[in-house]
Amino acid sequence: MRFYEALGLEPGLMLDAQDLQRRFYERSRQWHPDRRARAGAAEQQKALEMTAVLNDAFRTLRDPVARAGYFLEEHKIVSSKHPPAELLEEVFEMNMALDELRRGDESARPQLIDARDRFVKLLAEIDHGLSALSIQYDKSLRGTPDESLLLAIRGVLDRRQYVSNLIRDVEKELNVHVSN
Amino acid sequence: MAYSNKVLDHYNHPRNVGSMDKSDPNVGTGMVGAPECGDVMKLQVKVNPETGVIEDAKFKTFGCGSAIASSSLATEWLRGRTVDEALAIKNTDIVNELSLPPVKIHCSVLAEDAIKAAINDYKAKSGVTAKETATA
Repeated sequence: MRFYEALGLEPGLMLDAQDLQRRFYERSRQWHPDRRARAGAAEQQKALEMTAVLNDAFRTLRDPVARAGYFLEEHKIVSSKHPPAELLEEVFEMNMALDELRRGDESARPQLIDARDRFVKLLAEIDHGLSALSIQYDKSLRGTPDESLLLAIRGVLDRRQYVSNLIRDVEKELNVHVSN
Repeated sequence: MAYSNKVLDHYNHPRNVGSMDKSDPNVGTGMVGAPECGDVMKLQVKVNPETGVIEDAKFKTFGCGSAIASSSLATEWLRGRTVDEALAIKNTDIVNELSLPPVKIHCSVLAEDAIKAAINDYKAKSGVTAKETATA
């Protein structure tokens, strides 16, 4: 996997943040285009490319969510076409309340604040689940990689995306219609 | 991209908006949603247990004009059909009727999923073993 290779890392879901940063700085210095000002055109081109890859790799791998997303993409595990079924009822109710608030009905506000707080809490639980699964998967890398864990992680990431979009939507409306 | 006249008509004058009592044994409820955003579609059917004919259909959709039109059209088509005829409705029928552009085909898929989910909910409630499994 290109991003891991660029930083001299074995592919895995758990990475040490400090080690990652150290590797990024070291390699960025090494490939800095200024250091190859006198080199040939091909060498300069290579330095530019490596610098770009290192930047993308660092930006992706330092964030556990983006990292897991990249890892799954590389394993060709695609997102589900269905939202988390157990949340739909609540999302429907939230939409009803959002409609009321948009129509100026302030009595919908407490319900929406509650909904937002529940989703924020859920997001924290999801992140917790993601790191637990990541640790478990990395352990399996010592033997036969457990592909079923990657599918579970795909589910967690999809759920995370869905819930964070909900939070974004409800916060947007809560801020647009600020109560006096 | 412009909406077709039929989409606009359903969007501006949605048919059968509303809800029915979920706990009624003759009412089947289907709730489906989009994978990435908060769009949701609730579709309900009320079936005559004697004849298996859908006597009433209601929907409430939070989403774009095409999603609203697809579910509105679906409730129109559902009324008067038998449960099995309802399951034969395909998303492509909705696409053709509303002239949905390719980027909006997922809205018709959502409507088909909602129909299947509602019928399967009714079947499960009324004790009929559902042969078909909902794709939702």
